[in-house]
Amino acid sequence: MRKRKKAGPVESLGDGAFRINLSEDERETMLRFVDQLEEVLTAEHTDPRLRRLFPTAYHEDPDLDAEYQGYMRDELSQSRASSIATVREILGSENPIAESQLYAFMMVLNSLRLVLGTLLGVSEDEDTDDIEEDDPSFGQAQLYGYLGWLLEWTVDTLSNG
Amino acid sequence: MSFLTAPDFGQGLPLASDTQVAEPEVSETPETDLPWIVLVWNDPINLMSYVSFVFQKLFGYSKEKADLLMLDVHEKGRAVVSSGSREHAEIDVFRLHEHGLWATMQKDS
Repeated sequence: MRKRKKAGPVESLGDGAFRINLSEDERETMLRFVDQLEEVLTAEHTDPRLRRLFPTAYHEDPDLDAEYQGYMRDELSQSRASSIATVREILGSENPIAESQLYAFMMVLNSLRLVLGTLLGVSEDEDTDDIEEDDPSFGQAQLYGYLGWLLEWTVDTLSNG
Repeated sequence: MSFLTAPDFGQGLPLASDTQVAEPEVSETPETDLPWIVLVWNDPINLMSYVSFVFQKLFGYSKEKADLLMLDVHEKGRAVVSSGSREHAEIDVFRLHEHGLWATMQKDS
């Protein structure tokens, strides 16, 4: 990965302003993924794609966990919906954005990666780089790599911006 | 076509409840006196730089401390990231889940 600050997909403009340097096509594509993420978030609670987005809180106590999920799950869904709304907004224009908006972008990128990584069965010994071009999940693996690259830039920019 | 669908979940990550965790010791101390600890578990998806950044943002840790904690999670499988009352721990767990980290809480023993 090359880290040429000026040509990066995410850039700090100074004074708390940032810019996402994605082409029109990339923005459109990202918006479609965001739509899909929103759809996944409305899936049944037992949907395996959600297991990383709504993890167990009390791993030693199923009763306490059920109680926790009862009052926290909706709040977690609302928080995600709010980040998604922000990301829609910032992808719809090329205007400079605030730190909080870039932060929402980071959270949504990470949520997308979690869903994709879960689908791809990413594990310590299972690298997506090994997925061949004729594999049905090749497209997902490519996207997973792309999101990782974009997230790395976003974290780096927020850390140093 | 949707990129977020797949028929096969054979390789899915284990749920926290699937993992082998040592049974907590039964304690005679009144429950309310025990502080709770928040654990973050290693996972192969979250980026190391992201995890460290989240620790800095959520807990106000320095980059050095956050990096060490992140490496602890990565190398030992889990690390305690905060502790306190049950309410406090629940809030930390919530914020970590919000950021997609695999956090759980338990009574300190």
